[in-house]
Amino acid sequence: MNRRISTGLVITTLMVCLMVWGIPSTFSKPHEELAFEPITFKPPVPEKRVLSNGLTLYLLEDHELPLFNINGLIKTGDIYDPADKVGLAAIFSSVMRTGGTVSREPDALNEELESMAAAVEVGMSAEYGTINLSTLAEDIEKGLEIFADVLKNPAFREDKLELRKQQAVEGIRRRNDAPIQLAWRNFSALLYGTDHPFGWYSEIEGIESITVDDLKAFHAKYYHPNNIMLAITGDFNTETLIPQLEKVFEGWVSTEITFPDVPTVDPTPKPSVNYIFKDLNQTTMLIGHFGIKRTPDFPDYFALRVMNDILGEGGFTSRLMREVREKHGLAYMVGSIMPTSYYTNPGEWFAYSQTRTDKTAEAISLIIDVVKGLRDAPVPEAELQRTKDSLINSFVFGFESSAQIAFQQMMLAYRGFAPDFLETFTDNIAEVTAEDVQAVAQKYLHPDALTIVTVGNKDNFDRPLDEFGEVNEIEIAQPAPPPTEPMPEASEADMAKAKEILAAAVEAHGGLEKLQAVKNMVVEARASANSPQGPMQVEGKSYYVFPDKFRQDLKMAQGEMATVFDGASGFVITPIGVQPIPPQMAATFKDAVFRETLWLLPNLSQNDIPIQYAGTEDVAGKPASILLVPQPSGEMLKLFVSEDTHYVVKLSYRETAQGVAVIRETLMEDYRDVDGVKVPHHVVQNVEGQLFSESRITSVTLNAELDDTLFQEPE
Amino acid sequence: MKQIRYLLILFLVTLHGIASAQDLADRVVEHTFPNGLKLLMIARDTSPTVAPYLLFKAGSVDEADDTRGIAHMLEHMLFKGTETIGTKDYKKEEVILAEIDRIGDALDMERAKGSRADADRITELEKALKAQQELAKEWIVTGEYTEIYTQHGSTGFNAGTSVDYTIYTVELPSNKLELWAMLESDRLKNAVLREFYVERDAVKEERRMRVDTQPGGKLYEQFIAAAFTTHPYGMPIIGWPSDIAMLNRRKAEEFFKVHYAPNNSVMVIVGNIDIEGTIALVEKYFGDIPSQPLPSEVTTVEPQQEGERRIEVEFDAEPQLMIGYHKPTIPHFDDYVLDMISAILSDGRTSRFYKNIVEEGIAVSANSVNGYPGARYNNLFFISGTPRSPHTTVDVEEAIYAELEKLKTEPVAEKEFKRILKQVDASFIRNLSSNAGMAQQLAFYEGIAGDWRYVLGWRENMYKITPEDIMKVAKTYFTKSNRTVGTLVKKEDTTSAGDEAEDYE
Repeated sequence: MNRRISTGLVITTLMVCLMVWGIPSTFSKPHEELAFEPITFKPPVPEKRVLSNGLTLYLLEDHELPLFNINGLIKTGDIYDPADKVGLAAIFSSVMRTGGTVSREPDALNEELESMAAAVEVGMSAEYGTINLSTLAEDIEKGLEIFADVLKNPAFREDKLELRKQQAVEGIRRRNDAPIQLAWRNFSALLYGTDHPFGWYSEIEGIESITVDDLKAFHAKYYHPNNIMLAITGDFNTETLIPQLEKVFEGWVSTEITFPDVPTVDPTPKPSVNYIFKDLNQTTMLIGHFGIKRTPDFPDYFALRVMNDILGEGGFTSRLMREVREKHGLAYMVGSIMPTSYYTNPGEWFAYSQTRTDKTAEAISLIIDVVKGLRDAPVPEAELQRTKDSLINSFVFGFESSAQIAFQQMMLAYRGFAPDFLETFTDNIAEVTAEDVQAVAQKYLHPDALTIVTVGNKDNFDRPLDEFGEVNEIEIAQPAPPPTEPMPEASEADMAKAKEILAAAVEAHGGLEKLQAVKNMVVEARASANSPQGPMQVEGKSYYVFPDKFRQDLKMAQGEMATVFDGASGFVITPIGVQPIPPQMAATFKDAVFRETLWLLPNLSQNDIPIQYAGTEDVAGKPASILLVPQPSGEMLKLFVSEDTHYVVKLSYRETAQGVAVIRETLMEDYRDVDGVKVPHHVVQNVEGQLFSESRITSVTLNAELDDTLFQEPE
Repeated sequence: MKQIRYLLILFLVTLHGIASAQDLADRVVEHTFPNGLKLLMIARDTSPTVAPYLLFKAGSVDEADDTRGIAHMLEHMLFKGTETIGTKDYKKEEVILAEIDRIGDALDMERAKGSRADADRITELEKALKAQQELAKEWIVTGEYTEIYTQHGSTGFNAGTSVDYTIYTVELPSNKLELWAMLESDRLKNAVLREFYVERDAVKEERRMRVDTQPGGKLYEQFIAAAFTTHPYGMPIIGWPSDIAMLNRRKAEEFFKVHYAPNNSVMVIVGNIDIEGTIALVEKYFGDIPSQPLPSEVTTVEPQQEGERRIEVEFDAEPQLMIGYHKPTIPHFDDYVLDMISAILSDGRTSRFYKNIVEEGIAVSANSVNGYPGARYNNLFFISGTPRSPHTTVDVEEAIYAELEKLKTEPVAEKEFKRILKQVDASFIRNLSSNAGMAQQLAFYEGIAGDWRYVLGWRENMYKITPEDIMKVAKTYFTKSNRTVGTLVKKEDTTSAGDEAEDYE
């Protein structure tokens, strides 16, 4: 049985033998008496065609339901991410879809697809990219046209890139929330190190540096007909479809592609034991090392398939599940994974478990013992037979749908495997012996060279982890935006020019003497601010005591609120109580007082703060000189001084709140005289280029009598 | 003029839609056995595979205070074998199992005393339990029931417990359908819930994994408990830690006996089958299981909510938001309207949440689901959101309310209706393309709505909905006093550790 038949693949699922049970049984079990009719199934074979422009198709008609699908494969992948822009390929694939096409605005594209209950989706994996179409058969023509448009003419609109980057940054901020994600990121980074794409993960800095041009370049490099295969299935007629495809892809030509080199990792194991603190009652553990790189000539695939099933990929019947869960109750999820699809580098092999904290070491030991067991002794015949039967009998589930069949065929071609791989699969599995399994266990499993990553609370561990090796404790920091932008190198001339502009500004605002005399300032204003529900009216009173005290009282429809900063720490007073401001926010408040013009100008004039000139730019249609100024936090402030009035007309700076950096701008107009100095009476705030608030100043008092209690925490 | 065109378009779409729903109606074959067992079948010859699914209308709502978690625990225990599978000699094993129960009960009672428990007695009982478990190992064949399925090529062999029901799933090569009938009926007739305490430990790990270490899981558990003060829908399916600690074999067997009756179940078989042969096969293996009086439904009714409820959960994670509104379950017409509303709010990139909240950068995700946590009793319209910093859960909450307000005041455009109805019809065709998916769906509707044809009626009702219905329903349910809001808040100090005792024992 399971003979190869020349007309194509035939899957036969008769039990290979009615079997040797592992357990001596004193009675026969009823199911052993059952006989099963053999089923002979000849799965349909997709037809391979190549379009005139070199695009390869795997076509399989299936008229059961009026549906139509394309699953496309593009030779590219995350592995081609540049080191300083990790995440580029992933972001590219999102924005290729969300950014619309040259002729279709994103909203229009979404509307068109969803109003015909169709979908076009773009994806990215480590070693390939995907693009899919799913539509009703009645909409094939329209579906094809849109699919081709997305594939050929994506527009990568700037706002959709920005949105996707923001989402990626949020993902980075949240990457330590779930223990399994935290463990996994550190495991692969430990294995591959920082100079290999398999060990990389995105950081905020790299994400923020991605531009529309990067996405366009990625598309221009890899998305050509000769680099793409499509598996097409469903309710269509091949002879009608081919001309339709030729038409939608007309004018799209093949181009020779030079693929960048993917670094090859040194596969020598670098064992280590690692611990990451998270205050949870369960430890998440990953235990493993490098896996296999499966090139078409890889010799041990079938023996490994059997071994991996026995070890931890075979679900409920694998050894890890049986020992750790079924016999010891030490986990709900436990198993192992050895990906066999990577062809550029060995992937990883790892066992995983989530186990109550006070059984952590016990679970690790048990897992290591199970791994050793596979190396130390041949698999009992019954267990081997059961596993092989399982693989052979379930093989048919790889052929449940035509989409699956065609995709599988296409993937084999993509990977360069022998065309008879599927036809000979069950025979090859049947031939695997206990010796083969032990041999691959010895060759590919190395329980003496493990990378162990644990996430949990070691105070409650049953035993210290030192028994597995010296413990490396990994500190996890909340991902922060990139360090402050450094001030550029300035020439003597730029520094000199900056001083001239500053001097003119000081004069324009009232002169050094008058400015120096200002010790405090109280400003009252009416503002309208943008909230998600529309404009909101606010009345505010701000107190500045130079150099560093600040208080702001706000009246809103919802109630009153005060924010207070005394130069070192601060708090917020709301109707429901007083809350401290997190210490990391203190720098933001220091910067805020620092930026106040009446204080900033004399401060810069008298103190040794390095400022430099950085060109001119129009503000409200009039030229202004730009001065670069370092703030107390280190973040750079851009000060725009009007070339005409010499007033400070605009401030621009980056501010970090809750781990996210935003660009803020303050536009100042309507300068009026207050006790001999000039103060703007119309102030507009923008955040990330969007209007945030607009204020009208109603009163300004200089050197007011201020009560010290203003800056003290209320009882 | 406009009105007429609108009707015309609806009519055209309707014609097409009927064809797809009719296709489903034509393909389902129904058979009811004398013992009350309902069998639904769809024959498909795409591949030589079959998906037999078995659903029992027995979920966590059917538990009592002292058996909370038992529906789920029993689901685990039904993989432990029968009097012939999983054992070398059940007669000998049985004696030891009884002894394990006796010691286990004593141990649970002692541990339940908490700080007043006798530590020495606990140690002594633990030792005694261990000794009996070792003795039992001589007779137990761990994992045999599962191994048989696996060896015969099963995939998706699993089970799931919800508030409303428990479902047992598997897919097999189609020549193995009789094996399924034999194994499945054997466990209904002769299940042995062996290895109970070890599995109970695994369930505790499941709870830690799904709830205690998952920010979203933890928030949901607290949120749903706040939303339902009275009805058992507020209780966790898996049970609270102290509930799991007191589960035993006796409670599981009792629940099994009361709820796992042929007249309380639905069997669905989709795949490469012969209809008549399948009926005969099921009759042969399941026909002799007697029907029995059914337990009563839950009679507790959640009282009308009289004011907004807000809860916070502190966790070492970034913020999340959940909002729920009480509303009636199927087949109330408003439930269909809320299905439509959910599609308008969060289905796809044209949905309002996606366009106005996600694309505006306020949240990285915002979703709605009509009908949490179950459908047998009145339930919630559920909304969740994940803010994108610097936006907070407050911003996301405001943005969500703004969308709900719009539903109350602005009639939904024709275009939106049309798009959603087209998707409704397409879903009928797409659902038919997977044996397992179809089996799950038919089992659910037959078991919970009482008739699989509910899904056909659902489609008709979706077509009846008018813009006025949407506004009326939005005004009725999306009120402040009818909602529960849960937020996950970042725990500021996470350095303290070591003082939290193990929580379950």
